[in-house]
Amino acid sequence: MLSLTRALRAGLGLILCLAALSCGGGSGMLGPPAPPPTGNNVVSVIVDQGPLPTTNPTANTLYTSVTVCFPGSATNCQTIDHIEVDTGSYGLRLLAPVMNAALNLPVQLASNGNSLVQCTQFVIGYSWGPVVAADVLIGGETASSVPIQAIGDSRFTTVPADCSGTGTAQDTVAAFGANGILGIGPFALDCPLCETQVVPGTYYACTSTTCTGTTVVAASQVPNVVTKFAKDNNGSIIQLPSVANAGAATVTGTLTFGIDTESNNASGTQTVLTVDGNAELIMTFNGVSLSQSFIDSGSNGIYFTDANISLCTATNFTEFYCPANNLTLPLTIQGQNGVMTNNLTFQVGNALSMLNNPAAANFGAFPLLAGSNSNAQSFDFGLAFFYSRRVATAIEGSVTSAGTGPYIAF
Amino acid sequence: MLILRSNDFKIGALCGAMLIAAAGPGIARAALGELEASVQTDVVQLQGSIKASTDRETFRIHEIQLPSGTVLREFVSLDGKVFAVAWNGPYMPNLRQALGRYFDSYVAGAKLNHMDHKHLQISQPDLVVQAAGHMRAFSGRAYLPTALPSGFNLGDLQ
Repeated sequence: MLSLTRALRAGLGLILCLAALSCGGGSGMLGPPAPPPTGNNVVSVIVDQGPLPTTNPTANTLYTSVTVCFPGSATNCQTIDHIEVDTGSYGLRLLAPVMNAALNLPVQLASNGNSLVQCTQFVIGYSWGPVVAADVLIGGETASSVPIQAIGDSRFTTVPADCSGTGTAQDTVAAFGANGILGIGPFALDCPLCETQVVPGTYYACTSTTCTGTTVVAASQVPNVVTKFAKDNNGSIIQLPSVANAGAATVTGTLTFGIDTESNNASGTQTVLTVDGNAELIMTFNGVSLSQSFIDSGSNGIYFTDANISLCTATNFTEFYCPANNLTLPLTIQGQNGVMTNNLTFQVGNALSMLNNPAAANFGAFPLLAGSNSNAQSFDFGLAFFYSRRVATAIEGSVTSAGTGPYIAF
Repeated sequence: MLILRSNDFKIGALCGAMLIAAAGPGIARAALGELEASVQTDVVQLQGSIKASTDRETFRIHEIQLPSGTVLREFVSLDGKVFAVAWNGPYMPNLRQALGRYFDSYVAGAKLNHMDHKHLQISQPDLVVQAAGHMRAFSGRAYLPTALPSGFNLGDLQ
């Protein structure tokens, strides 16, 4: 396992080097600065170099802290920092190695009575671990006895072949780049199809030695925790300040729960874009309409295709853009409701010079970091979209004064 | 700063190989780099069905509909060899099956080349893998750079 750890660290070394190589300056994005909200439905969020800044620094990754308690207990609790805030996934997942043994959160059962274990699919690989129950406290909000995932739990080490077949394991803090992930996208479930169909590489019923794919009723799946809060459970709002073009060591902002449920989360005047069944929007760039586009706090760059922008040539940077000068480019974003953005632009900087800038060695935020996208139908506008904006995510079915979810508004 | 030591690569590859070994034997050799007949092996192993087979000038596309809703496309050159696969849909396909002998190389490369949970690019002389997306919507492609048909447009690889 030592060798595995080393290999993973080498992998994170890339992230680390990217963050450590740092950046250079520029101008802020649009929008007037708004005062950060306060209240018992607000939790602070931060962009920094992550839980392992020395060995595995991350870039453009938004974190918060989450408290989990044994269901019903007010004392057997643990607060865990550096939980990634991800509007591109659903569910709370914690790395088991950072959880206190005393927490001993109860493993949930599959319909056949065996342990319910999940294979969570990410683009880069999978995270394997049991579904456990916890009371979840974030800011002043509480969700009681909600299923969450414990990734990399040493009690469940046999990974089914059709789970490991989805890629590489993301089951350590180093590999994951966070102590956990809080998926708060515009849907309630991570696997709606799993309610009625055994989907390879998703949920399993496991004994101590073998696992079998299983269906899982909605109530037993790992849900978007926001939907399980006692109040303020129809969505969330991320608000971040502007960031200099060169980047910043840290960026702090707020994650507010609920939309139109409190005085501090009113919809206000904004652009409301309804998302499709994949939580996606239509973005038009360079005259091409890209139907699989999305806004995602969990993507650390702006990923799109433009053959006219030079890609970096340095080893391990070839996915990123390296234009000679910072570029300001127009983009139109359209929702399923037909609403379109007006006069929206974004900026692209030189990834190599930004990340290699010695002055940015301790930077976690790089608003101009952009790269190519292998999906010709997709524009992935990552965390940079949230800089200098107040972005609301309304969960499917939720009714607010601005519309009915699922939508993204800003 | 971005120096990756060669022994780390070797360790990564070794771990990938160990993962494969742990998964057990008995998985039939799959499509990428194999003959066209292996497409049918993928169909059987993945419990999918051929949705369409389309002939282009210099290659053929077999489109496999998986039960999960994801579509896996396998690209075959005129000499009958699978030179690329591409996927798009709500759940990841079993890449061990689709990438076959290249899967462990993919796993080793994935450990070294990701920036976040949503993007992957592996560029090796013998294998390129690019993937993107988010939970409930994944896409990606893998191809053998040296086996592409003459004049092949990577834009067709979706």
